[in-house]
Amino acid sequence: MLRTALKNVLAHKLRLLTTALAVTLGVALMAGTLVLTDTMKRTFDNLFATVYGGTDAVVRAKASFEGPQGAGVQRGRIDIGLIPTVRAAPGVAAAEGQIFGYARITGSDGSALGNPANGAPTLGTVWVTDSRLNPLNLVAGAPPRGPHQVVIDKKSAQDGNLAVGDTTTILVLGPPQRMRITGIAKFGSADSPGGASIAAFTAPTAQRLLAQPGKVDTIDVVGKPGVSQQQLVRDISPVLPSGVEAVTGATVIAENQTQVQKGLAFFNTFLLIFAVVALLVGGFMMFNTFAITVTQRTRENGLLRALGASRRQVLTSVLLEALAVGMIASLLGVVVGVGVAIGLKALMSGIGIEIPAQGVTVLPGSMLFAFAVGLVVTVLAAVSPARKAAKVAPIAAMQLGVAGSTGYGSKQRVFVGIGVLGGGVAALLLGLFTGVPSPLQIVGLGALLVFFGVSILGRTISLPLSRVIGLPLLRLRGVTGELARENAMRNPKRTAASASALMIGVGVVGLIAIFVSSIRASITQSIDKTFTGDIVVDSGGGVLGGVDPALARDLNKLPEVQLAAGIRQGVAKVGSSAVVVEAGNPTTLLRLIQPQITDGSAAGLNTHSIAVYSATASDHNWHIGSVLPVEFAKSGPTRLRVAAIYNDNTQIGDYFVSLSAYRANFAAQFDHEVFVKIAPGTSSAAAVSAIKSVTAAYPSVKVLTRSGYVDAQMKPLNQLLALIYVLLGLAIIIALLGIGNTLALSISERIREIGLLRAIGMTRAQLRSAIRWESVIIALQGTVLGLVIGVFFGWALVTAMHDQGIRVFSVPILTLAVVMVAAIAAGMIAAAGPSRRAAKLDVLRAVAAE
Amino acid sequence: MADTTTVTAPRPSQTAVAAHTVDARKVYGRAETEVRALDGITVDFETGRFTAIMGPSGSGKSTLLHCVAGLDQLSSGHAFIGTDDVSALNDRELTVLRRDRIGFIFQSYNLVPTLTALENVVLPLRLAGRRVDQGWLDTVIGTLGLADRLAHRPSELSGGQQQRVAVARALATRPQIVFADEPTGNLDSHASTEVLQFMRRAVDDMGQTIVMVTHDPRAAGFADRAVFLADGTIVDELLMPTTDSVLERMKRFGE
Repeated sequence: MLRTALKNVLAHKLRLLTTALAVTLGVALMAGTLVLTDTMKRTFDNLFATVYGGTDAVVRAKASFEGPQGAGVQRGRIDIGLIPTVRAAPGVAAAEGQIFGYARITGSDGSALGNPANGAPTLGTVWVTDSRLNPLNLVAGAPPRGPHQVVIDKKSAQDGNLAVGDTTTILVLGPPQRMRITGIAKFGSADSPGGASIAAFTAPTAQRLLAQPGKVDTIDVVGKPGVSQQQLVRDISPVLPSGVEAVTGATVIAENQTQVQKGLAFFNTFLLIFAVVALLVGGFMMFNTFAITVTQRTRENGLLRALGASRRQVLTSVLLEALAVGMIASLLGVVVGVGVAIGLKALMSGIGIEIPAQGVTVLPGSMLFAFAVGLVVTVLAAVSPARKAAKVAPIAAMQLGVAGSTGYGSKQRVFVGIGVLGGGVAALLLGLFTGVPSPLQIVGLGALLVFFGVSILGRTISLPLSRVIGLPLLRLRGVTGELARENAMRNPKRTAASASALMIGVGVVGLIAIFVSSIRASITQSIDKTFTGDIVVDSGGGVLGGVDPALARDLNKLPEVQLAAGIRQGVAKVGSSAVVVEAGNPTTLLRLIQPQITDGSAAGLNTHSIAVYSATASDHNWHIGSVLPVEFAKSGPTRLRVAAIYNDNTQIGDYFVSLSAYRANFAAQFDHEVFVKIAPGTSSAAAVSAIKSVTAAYPSVKVLTRSGYVDAQMKPLNQLLALIYVLLGLAIIIALLGIGNTLALSISERIREIGLLRAIGMTRAQLRSAIRWESVIIALQGTVLGLVIGVFFGWALVTAMHDQGIRVFSVPILTLAVVMVAAIAAGMIAAAGPSRRAAKLDVLRAVAAE
Repeated sequence: MADTTTVTAPRPSQTAVAAHTVDARKVYGRAETEVRALDGITVDFETGRFTAIMGPSGSGKSTLLHCVAGLDQLSSGHAFIGTDDVSALNDRELTVLRRDRIGFIFQSYNLVPTLTALENVVLPLRLAGRRVDQGWLDTVIGTLGLADRLAHRPSELSGGQQQRVAVARALATRPQIVFADEPTGNLDSHASTEVLQFMRRAVDDMGQTIVMVTHDPRAAGFADRAVFLADGTIVDELLMPTTDSVLERMKRFGE
């Protein structure tokens, strides 16, 4: 039986190739994702091992609270007065203050280096004089000695065309600083710490620019020889004041690694979803191909049975064939996966997500996992066709060519399909709209079940669907259109199975297109409703960065500007959850941003009050006058009274406080964005050029018009979108290969019919056209089903995210129309090979074919 | 268009020729394995007559039909439909010729399974983009007794009914000539008789020209003329054959 199975594999090399390709792609995406994940993990592990390699213990303020969405632990700073105390503790060989903060280097052409908004951070730090505690190794020049001297990392020096002795601008949370580069350093052995840029200052300069004078983030400690890290911590702890703790270097490394892994978790999930989509598509194609070949081999299997093969042997033979295909495809997939990882790395670096690693990390465990998944999917897909093959009666060998089942699906099947679909929809809605634990998994399962449910119902809905889709063809293409439609309808089971693979890819495309379109529409609508100004000045510094409040003051002095007001951001703990708090001057900022206050008044906001977004307030049952327990990293616990409730959180977030409250509770004072209203009678162009003359001193700042502001907010999303479309494009191409494959197989079943048609006068062109349109009907069927599912998923997701600020459900008709047209074109392309071969058939031989 | 038939049997002087061959040869294989399927056949098929081509298996009768009908290429010699030399036409011209001027009836698998009987009948017309001549269609369908089966698909028709639909399709375009390749080969004798009677009426009532390949003496008995082939050459012919006279003639092949 093994020999029969292998011979079958070898006898159909081309079919094998196209089918295996689908599984290969799925495995490759999965392996690529795993390789990329392993690579990133190893890179960061090495990074932290370098940073803290010489550090035996770290003294720091106790954590106030964990920041929202992986923003890290929020801590206060500690006094430099503690450094001599730590040094005096037994077991301590050396102790130095350390700071990490926002600093961005500008290149020799005056442009800011790096992309902290959606890439690696741009860091400022202390040049630690004790080499055991300093992760930086000078490769040129000397350490910084004065307030206007800096050492920069080698990558920034190369990117910015900077050399020792050059003077350049360093952007910090405050006025830009002109500094002379005294040295260029490597980070451990790397040119830069994981793609981030580094500017190292003297300790007093770092305190002044990155923290506060007299304050540091941590004190890094080296122990005396023979003192273990645990012993060192026990030695230091007694001398520390309350609110300050000592931990081992190993603990800090582990904490950092966990933090990064949390940050990457979203990214991994995202890529794995595509791997699952690709494998699903591959599985459907496998199933389809095996189902067709088993039907075509009915007589052969009957013969085997007549010659004495048992059912089990026939079943095993088909499964062995699947195993062989799965092995080859998965093995290939694992190899291609390494290439995919390299490609993904390059692709992401192209859109600004830098993965700082040389080469990729290939771990045997990950490879084995991807291989096994591919194998299991292939064999599972062949189980049902194999069982069907085993059911063939020996008498089938004697019967004339049995044309496979053309069933529309039994009643039982319809019930099962509706059950699975209903279960999927229920799980999806449950995950999205109720507070169940691990909603992501439940939503994923729901989506999977919806796809499966529709696939099970596929053969039942395929017939009416082909009939409707093919309707315009009758008019447009006459008899060839009619033949195309009839052929798409003649085996609904097969048509549905070919369409299913495409349906999945298109469904995900539809979902994402709708999601992004809805976000854009929501942002646009909200800006239209709430932003009364004309121009937004963005700090360009990402979440860490910001611009000196002096910029807003300077803009207000311009005659072209009627009003300019900045908005600030920070993290605080409200009740039991860490949240982002926004801040601004209630009288000026809230004239430019009108968040539709429904209750209370923002004018009365002061140091002891807060404004809250309406949905957040109703979730917690807060009203005007409610007193909220709030904790800030700098100032500790306090209580704020709810003074206003507002209806739009797009610009000012869920929590908003006055500038006075912000100053009292946050260390850094900088504007995230500055909103500007142009003076009456001033043209937009004149205002922009006046504003740009002021912002020229801040190289990272961007001046945006209203529409530019929407675009800027959409930019990270659009970049992500590009990546998504590339990945889905691959899945869809594979699905099209599947349609081509099915078409070729079903044409080989209808050779006599084709011969007849040609004999009675169908031209080659007419034949090609009929097959092309048949393919288009199948492709459109998958597309239509996919879009319907995509619109449903999109609607569910957008509705579920209403309180996150996505209030508009927008279906991007144009994009979806493009998808439809692309499906038509793709259907034609898929049919090119099969239709050409069919048209070339010798008429006489086709008529006489068995 | 020289009439160089070697068969000098008398025939009605007023008849024109719908198709003919001149020294038609068809050779398969080369040198030692060479098979001469047609070995210099020159024959006329007169308009308005029902001709049967008879002969034992391997005599070349089907090859002759395929070559005249433009389904196969001669190795040498010529085959004409009307005055058009079939061997000089390209694929597209051959397709148009088959579509507009020839009707086909095969032994089996004559109908497109996804189309109804009526759709099958008018398929060649629609492929040509020609308007259906409703009067003619009604005549054909009425003659063949198919009126109540038109909405059925082939799988819902008996073998005899399917062949009648095939005959109707072959007649629907008013072709110059209809070629039938063992049209009753798969039918029982009752259904055979039915189909052959319809073909006979198509000639008598509608003036159709039919050339039929068969090995069934009873089928040949419905024809106006029977041409006998053996080893790729014409060995004899009978005018107004009957089942008995054909049987008698065929017995002599065995001797």
